[in-house]
Amino acid sequence: MLTTRRLVLTHMWVAFATFSVAIILGVWQMWARSPLRAPFLTAENYFNSVTMHGVSMGYVLTTFFIMGFGYFVAETALKRPLPGKTWAWAAFWMGILGVLMAVLAIVTNNATVLFTFYPPLTGSPWFYIGLVLVVVASWIWCGLMIVAMAQWKRANLGEPVPLAMFATVANAVMWLWTTIGVAAELLFQVIPAAFGWIHTVDVGLSRTLFSWTLHAIVYFWLIPAYIAFYTMAPREAGGRLYSDTMGRLTFVLFLLYSLPVGMHHLFMDPEHSTGFKFVQAALTFLVSVPTFLTVFTISASMELAARLRGGTGVFGWIKALPWKNPMTLATGLAFFMLWFGGGGGLINMSYGMNAMIHNTSWVTAHFHLIFGGTVVIMYFAIAYSIWPHLTGWTFRSPGRLRLQLWLWAVGMMVMTIPWHYLGLQGQWRRVATFDYSDPMIAGWGPWVIVSLIGGLILLASAALFIVNLLPPHRKWARQPGPTEPYRYALAAHPPRRVPEVLNGFTLWNLLVALLMLAAYGWPILQFFLTDAPEAIVHRIGG
Amino acid sequence: MASPDPHNTPETEAERRAGRLWARTAVMVVVGFVAVFGVLGFVIIPVAQGAQAGIDPWSAICRAVGVSPGSPAMRQPVSDTPAQPVSNVAWTPAILNTLSGADRATGQRLAQEVCSACHGESGVSPSPNFPHLAGQSAAAIYKQLHDYRSGARFNEQMTPVAEALSEQELAAIAAYYAEASDDLRLGTRNPLPDERLQRLVSEGDPSRGIPACNACHARGAGGPIETPMINGQHAAYLEAQLTAYANGGRRNDIYQRMRTISAALTEQERRELAAYYQGTR
Ligand code: HEC
Ligand code: HEC
Ligand code: HEM
Ligand SMILES: [Cu+2]
Repeated sequence: MLTTRRLVLTHMWVAFATFSVAIILGVWQMWARSPLRAPFLTAENYFNSVTMHGVSMGYVLTTFFIMGFGYFVAETALKRPLPGKTWAWAAFWMGILGVLMAVLAIVTNNATVLFTFYPPLTGSPWFYIGLVLVVVASWIWCGLMIVAMAQWKRANLGEPVPLAMFATVANAVMWLWTTIGVAAELLFQVIPAAFGWIHTVDVGLSRTLFSWTLHAIVYFWLIPAYIAFYTMAPREAGGRLYSDTMGRLTFVLFLLYSLPVGMHHLFMDPEHSTGFKFVQAALTFLVSVPTFLTVFTISASMELAARLRGGTGVFGWIKALPWKNPMTLATGLAFFMLWFGGGGGLINMSYGMNAMIHNTSWVTAHFHLIFGGTVVIMYFAIAYSIWPHLTGWTFRSPGRLRLQLWLWAVGMMVMTIPWHYLGLQGQWRRVATFDYSDPMIAGWGPWVIVSLIGGLILLASAALFIVNLLPPHRKWARQPGPTEPYRYALAAHPPRRVPEVLNGFTLWNLLVALLMLAAYGWPILQFFLTDAPEAIVHRIGG
Repeated sequence: MASPDPHNTPETEAERRAGRLWARTAVMVVVGFVAVFGVLGFVIIPVAQGAQAGIDPWSAICRAVGVSPGSPAMRQPVSDTPAQPVSNVAWTPAILNTLSGADRATGQRLAQEVCSACHGESGVSPSPNFPHLAGQSAAAIYKQLHDYRSGARFNEQMTPVAEALSEQELAAIAAYYAEASDDLRLGTRNPLPDERLQRLVSEGDPSRGIPACNACHARGAGGPIETPMINGQHAAYLEAQLTAYANGGRRNDIYQRMRTISAALTEQERRELAAYYQGTR
């Protein structure tokens, strides 16, 4: 039995419990924006709800899930106990304390600032300090992942670090870089402003620091899904990973190109020059490299699995995949959604086209599809895959797992397609109500209702997910869980040795530093050299 | 995944060479991309676009780097329409510091000598012709006094009073009135229990472009800093102000916020809202 069993389960339950509350808020938000009259609807309630929903989904679900999953990978992929379990529990409780502080600030109406940190609007300092605690907890997790890998390497000199762990540490290293921006913004600008120690704030600088974090954070959320694609799905489908090197390269490229690109969130901002926006836009396009590497490698791995099962034909093999297996099904559905979400992303990251969709519903629709869709469906699949090893019982009716995944993918498409369309029509994001009696926008109403129906399907799926994870009722005999340890996908040609650069992060950290200097050096320095105008701090509840 | 082969076998020369090749290629690719994108973004595109807009290459490059203002693609038009501020108050850090460091004792003395005759003992005015000041926000009082002084807002009685005061004195009085005891202050009364008005106040009426009053007029709502507290104010005074905003008699509200809102309300709504906010104990 795993020594991290309780640790992982506790993290996962915190993540999923938060998720199930937040999804109810999400549905209510869509209801509020629709022509149907939603109960409790006031502007203040709406923005409280969006704050709670965004913080829960973006910070709590993700961080706790990723930490729990990392502990699981560290023990099962390295096949040795996790070092520093006390630290892990300390980090957990620190995170919980932070979440409680933030939630308290939100429910007492003191933090209707949404989940992004854009001063001069500031909420209660306890909201920000709570979220800082969550970040510090995640830093402890990063440290533990790095230490676990270093200890393993010392004990297994010259051997390739198992891909799942290599990828987890890539994510930890990336997260440390990622959080520098937001941490600086919170500590030097937002928290002093929230306490009232400063009266003005340079919003250009804070937006720039937040953009440092804003793109890489979505890759922090995404990487667990990619870990599942590379190291779990091929085995569950009955095959092998097509190439271990491709996997390493992909995760390294994510580390490199998630960071120096955040300015694509500031295309419409005045505080940066066109040259830097162009460079970061161009670097953003390089993210397509690891994405296509993945599409290719995973499709090839799946084809391998299908042909082993007797599949034939150019596309005929697809039928031969074990679609009854939840991980295989989730991978297929995730790729399907990635196709649409990625297409939308290309529009967002194009310097010119961005003007068309900036701050419209298109943006919210896009990240729901790619993050709520592709990423979260893989969180479900990961949970299903590791649950038996954590709980000691297996799922009695796998059909319910598949139904849940299907509902999620269908609901997500139904919700996000009209949502995208409305964005193109010019519907604003972050707006509580619309006056549908205005003929200019009356035509939007029905589409929002379709999105709402999609949201209800998602709600049903989320409920089923929780039911699936609950232990089976005592009266029914529990089917005992697996006795063997968790196995990750083997590569078609398992590497005996990999070049040291692909077995660690020294070189890549140097390159990240170089890229960040080129991409963000002057853009940040300029605020300290010129006499930039400052905005007056606006405190909520103050 | 861990391969069973023997630990600690030393790296062969070929492996070492492969590793070096990887590292060198990686550095070259990364540096190469940055260089290509940099040349494109800082030189080629701006110079080409600048030429079309009649901007010399050097200025175009400076603009692309961000050391001189403007985008290389176009000359930024300069507006020569003179701005006509409705109010001369600009919320600068200096003013905020003056307000937060104001001398309350001076404020109290001046208030008792000059203001109490009309605005009542400690700012609680007995007559509906004079607004309450106790517990009003310091920024609101400061802005209104400043506006009377500059002529942005006019009232036969208030204008001469404000004109006689210095900037420091305005701040001192504002700070004094802002700190009133709880039983006297504005903002502690219960609004009238009226569901329809309650909805207008907390949700507004999107079909007429009326935002929720409480999005600004509630303590800690996060609206403009100068938003006055109106809960507990005399109804007659509130109604007079709303009417003045609606017919242009009062025009010192920045961005015409209140003029726009009030003009969208009906006369009856203005009267009802005034009574609503005066409220009951
Ligand atoms: C002669 C009577 C009188 C005196 C003395 C007087 N006020 Fe006023 N004050 C008024 C009247 C009348 C109004 C309402 C004016 C209007 O409708 O524009 C008013 C309005 C104000 C307002 C605007 C309130 C709001 O909610 O917008 C402020 C602030 C104010 N007075 C402060 C003062 C201060 C401070 C003093 C002492 C330095 C003072 N007043 C002395 C009669 C007086
Ligand atoms: C966008 C924010 C905002 C909204 C919404 C708003 N107000 Fe105002 N209101 C202000 C500001 C700011 C002032 C001060 C304007 C000035 O400088 O003269 C003001 C002034 C007033 C005054 C004059 C108070 C005084 O003491 O002189 C009244 C009365 C008033 N508002 C009523 C309302 C009502 C009723 C509503 C809803 C129908 C409303 N306001 C909605 C911002 C707002
Ligand atoms: C039932 C499913 C869901 C519905 C109906 C829903 C709906 C919404 C709505 C209406 C908003 C407000 C958008 C705005 O005002 O601009 C929102 C915001 C947000 N949602 Fe969801 N959501 C759902 C599920 C999810 C999921 C699964 C995630 C992620 C895991 C997620 C993450 C977010 C985030 C981070 C925000 C904040 C957006 C912002 O502040 O701009 N949502 N959601
Ligand atoms: Cu991004």
